[in-house]
Amino acid sequence: MALIEVQHLKKYFDVPNGTLHAVDDVSFKIEKGTTMGVVGESGCGKSTLGTTIIHLQESTGGKILFDGQDVTHLDKKQLYDYRENVQIIFQDPYSSLNPRYNIAKTIMEPLQISKRFKSKEEVRAEADRIMDLVGIEKRLRGAYPHELDGGRRQRVGIGRALALNPKFIVCDEPVSALDVSIQAQVLNLLMDLQDKQGLTYMFVTHDLSVVRHISDNICVMYLGQLVETCPSKKLFAKPLHPYTKALLSAIPSTDVDHKMQRVQLKGELTSPINPKPGCRFAARCLYATEACRQPQQLREIEKDHFVQCCRIEELN
Amino acid sequence: MSSENNNKKVNDGEMLLSVKDLTVQYTSMGSVVRAVNGVSFDLKRGQTLALVGETGAGKTSIAKAILRILPDISATAKGSVVFDGEDLMKLKDKDMEKIRGHKISMIFQDPMTALNPIMRVGRQISEVLTAHRHLTREEAVEEGKKMLEMVGIPAERYNEFPHQFSGGMKQRVVIAMALACTPELLLADEPTTALDVTIQAQVLELINDLKERLNTSMILITHDLGVVNETCDDVAVVYAGKIIESGKKRDVFKNPLHPYTNGLFGALPNMNLDSERLSPIEGLPPDPTDLPDGCAFAPRCPYATDKCRQGDIPAVEVEPGHFCECIRVHEIRKEQ
Repeated sequence: MALIEVQHLKKYFDVPNGTLHAVDDVSFKIEKGTTMGVVGESGCGKSTLGTTIIHLQESTGGKILFDGQDVTHLDKKQLYDYRENVQIIFQDPYSSLNPRYNIAKTIMEPLQISKRFKSKEEVRAEADRIMDLVGIEKRLRGAYPHELDGGRRQRVGIGRALALNPKFIVCDEPVSALDVSIQAQVLNLLMDLQDKQGLTYMFVTHDLSVVRHISDNICVMYLGQLVETCPSKKLFAKPLHPYTKALLSAIPSTDVDHKMQRVQLKGELTSPINPKPGCRFAARCLYATEACRQPQQLREIEKDHFVQCCRIEELN
Repeated sequence: MSSENNNKKVNDGEMLLSVKDLTVQYTSMGSVVRAVNGVSFDLKRGQTLALVGETGAGKTSIAKAILRILPDISATAKGSVVFDGEDLMKLKDKDMEKIRGHKISMIFQDPMTALNPIMRVGRQISEVLTAHRHLTREEAVEEGKKMLEMVGIPAERYNEFPHQFSGGMKQRVVIAMALACTPELLLADEPTTALDVTIQAQVLELINDLKERLNTSMILITHDLGVVNETCDDVAVVYAGKIIESGKKRDVFKNPLHPYTNGLFGALPNMNLDSERLSPIEGLPPDPTDLPDGCAFAPRCPYATDKCRQGDIPAVEVEPGHFCECIRVHEIRKEQ
């Protein structure tokens, strides 16, 4: 059964010159124990999608289901329970940790708030267990964030998110601030934890090689809209949407013999403020016609392969 | 202008830059940070060299030392940087000013902070032209507009401010500034790291195209091996302030020799293979205030022996033009 399901989720922001459509009518499911990768360029609403699902901000419209329960609107008590089940790992391990809390305190704080443990000793023992789990040496218990390197800080961020044994974790670009050699350590850790604890991830990133490595399914977003979603292997083997094709072809390859056939896009991301109806990618799309300016539907083109493009049959 | 360009074409393949035994040290709160430790490399006209390495490896310090823009107060640079027959390290400040931004220019990593936020972008480009090419104000405006169009920004936007541009466009403005005086050497410090992939593809294409048209040499600083593959001729891998492996791009990518270079490729999620686990390099880069004896990579290296932990590690030429600073390189290759 799907652990997380969103239906027609919308998140709009009021800005001085109109309404910013950060997430616009997005629907998908994440099965238990799997990883959903969400990719797209900066400003496409992928982080907003993550933070809206875990109620760091309230949705404007649509529905969020967690384990079959409707969690779109929660009161204070319900939100408190929901937060034990859903957590987030933030992008920047430099600014997401409280500089005045040492490592032990950072990890112990959620344990204390939860009141699951009776004595201080139990809390401490649990914090030790978590530090062990994410690979932070015990001697760093009293260290402050500024004393740690990026990789270790990110491990602390992961430990804090794992403290209450959540079921679902939003990973918001957890490795993009790290060097490749450290990035690989953290990715391996996340995958090991998933195996051990049966976690479900939503992995938000702009790095397509990372997302391919870690995800079972992938959503591609463009300016708040979900343009394509399917199993990871399928997406990389046979992308259907013109934007996905351009995005995949833009990744620089490390293969010396492999000449990438690049689909060059014209222009840049347009504004998500007061967007016109229809496909938002149309302005940069090589194949856009009048029909593309009409509202679009996400359609199942092949089994498990959903695309939002009215010309998809003609193009492929 | 045009005669200058023709001249460059004739000199193609001639040595433009030769760096010998460059060291850079910073003093910070009483301790000495050894950022660059004896780096030597050559660059020919029209060629592109990639300096690849992780955060803190000393890549940017190398570029800043070449351009002599290290902070006087805390940094000391030694060694020689021979550019077009002249040792830049020995030049008077005044003479260096004439080279900086004119014959050698730099593209900085972050386009959001490289531009002056309260100065119109056009003015920021034409400022370079009035300073170095002694154009009148009108001529500089004319030329500045041409530069904008060359990087794909309409000339009408000459009088706009940086905040009115998107990230990709700001980086184009920075590139236009760097290329305004058709430099002979371009130092590009992570020029696309702050950009999205589709925009990165556009900017790389632009740099490649301009480089070819103006026959500029380039040192590209990056940690992205994909970007290296798309733009460079030669590669130098930097670790703890040393070039531990260098050679033609094809040789280094096809046949990486140093355990660190191998580690970098292994840690990268592969787009074309479905591998289950990545093989990260265990441990962390060494503290530049307290570098180990011998090979700086030895503490993280699975092949390290006691011999690796002492003395200087000489560069070995394993195949023509492909150098590696590892005393066990031949043995390791046999083991594999």
